[in-house]
Amino acid sequence: MIRVENLHKSFKTNHVLRGINEHITQGEKVVVIGPSGSGKSTFLRCLNLLEKPTEGRIYVDDECITDPKCNINAVRAKMGMVFQHFNLFPHLTVLQNLTLAPTLLKLQTKEQAEAKARALLSRVGLEEKADAYPKQLSGGQQQRVGIARSLAMNPEIMLFDEPTSALDPEMVGEVLAVMRQLAEDGMTMVVVTHEMGFAKEVADRVLFMDEGIIMEKGTPKEIFENPQNERTKSFLSKVLS
Amino acid sequence: MVSALMLRERIKMMEWFLNTDLWHSIYASLIEGERWKMLLNGLGTTLIITIGAMALGTVLGIILALCKISKIKPLKWISSFYIDVIRGTPVVVQLLIMYFVIFASWNVNKTLIAIIAFGLNSAAYVAEIIRAGILGVDKGQMEAGRSLGLTHAQTMARIIMPQAIKSILPTYANEFIVLVKETAVAGYIAIEDLTKMGDIIRSKTYEALIPLLIVALIYLFITSILSKVFKRLEERMRASDSR
Ligand SMILES: Nc1ncnc2c1ncn2[C@@H]1O[C@H](COP(=O)(O)OP(=O)(O)O)[C@@H](O)[C@H]1O
Ligand SMILES: [Mg+2]
Repeated sequence: MIRVENLHKSFKTNHVLRGINEHITQGEKVVVIGPSGSGKSTFLRCLNLLEKPTEGRIYVDDECITDPKCNINAVRAKMGMVFQHFNLFPHLTVLQNLTLAPTLLKLQTKEQAEAKARALLSRVGLEEKADAYPKQLSGGQQQRVGIARSLAMNPEIMLFDEPTSALDPEMVGEVLAVMRQLAEDGMTMVVVTHEMGFAKEVADRVLFMDEGIIMEKGTPKEIFENPQNERTKSFLSKVLS
Repeated sequence: MVSALMLRERIKMMEWFLNTDLWHSIYASLIEGERWKMLLNGLGTTLIITIGAMALGTVLGIILALCKISKIKPLKWISSFYIDVIRGTPVVVQLLIMYFVIFASWNVNKTLIAIIAFGLNSAAYVAEIIRAGILGVDKGQMEAGRSLGLTHAQTMARIIMPQAIKSILPTYANEFIVLVKETAVAGYIAIEDLTKMGDIIRSKTYEALIPLLIVALIYLFITSILSKVFKRLEERMRASDSR
């Protein structure tokens, strides 16, 4: 479903990603962990070309998205992305946040999009907030809207960049619950997170990133219970203590 | 007896009042030779130039702003260069160049030349106002829009601009008000705008204070009306924002 070959990314002289190879299959839940500044966000953002790789190839559904001829907007339309800071559209109601893209891209009629949006809102437990504006919602509610907004596009893949890092602790649970539900429904997910509990429970595979490469990868059991790499060990001992 | 005396006193007072230099001067500036019509025509010209220039400046300013924030290098350079040149030189000089150089051998209406000159000038300022407004929107908004598959243009139109407009409007309104006053130099190319008309009346009446004071008051009136209108608009936007 997503294939990454020899991915490099530099910001000016800062060589952030230094050769990443990875294959994510349909329905797989991949959790990316690693210290801050190791390039996790950059890696995720390369997957939908929010960052342009300096080298390497990325395939989504066997389409080479790093090829300049690729219609990236069409590819992005089937890849949802959830941001650390939600990035909801503050000038639109919750419902409009969900319906804007599907209607603007003429994927759904206004009626279809609204029906779908209401269904999604009830799925994330916010159907009564349809006409509220983002700033009237708590952080946890905003992030659930963020997830619903991505789902409104009927994506095949969902990318999460630290979806709970900006939340007050008491709101982390409600967002993780929505993500868990999504995982159970069979969504292909790539999740950057510091929630190790979520990783252990939901991930099919865990990637440990450091210094712009995937230092170690494996099942949650392998990574958390029997890490091989020294870096992985020291990182885990820090975050799990 | 008494009342007749008082009446005479009163008439005397009124005569005195009417005969003062002040009233004579106002009379000469406005009524004599129907000079108020000159001022009205001048005001009309001033407003036409202002509105025309603002329209041109807005359209061109939007284009310049989009060029300046675009990723296409030559567009960036051209718009930056244009903005720097316009903002770094006096508008009077630009007006004179427009009239005596660029349109020198063409028979173009002077008011139109002024509209173009002030419009091209205003565009540079409007561009910077719009650019600042767009850059003021959190860049996560563009990323969110793009991540949903919207094009850059769609995201700009539906997500970025509606948010940017809130910070753009107050400074944009101010630019409008500045422009009303700035067009007062149109007389340099012999356009009979409000200021020029005041000056013509001054030279005819040999009386400087009153005609110029009247002109100043008209400017003040126009600018304060504009600033009230814009403030009202802004308040309405803020009200709809605090939902
Ligand atoms: N847009 C950018 N411009 C310049 N440097 C960036 C940009 N985004 C990220 N970086 C740099 O890339 C490195 C990795 O960042 P990031 O991918 O955000 O790490 P992580 O998500 O693992 O914390 C950091 O050194 C950061 O400063
Ligand atoms: Mg990050």
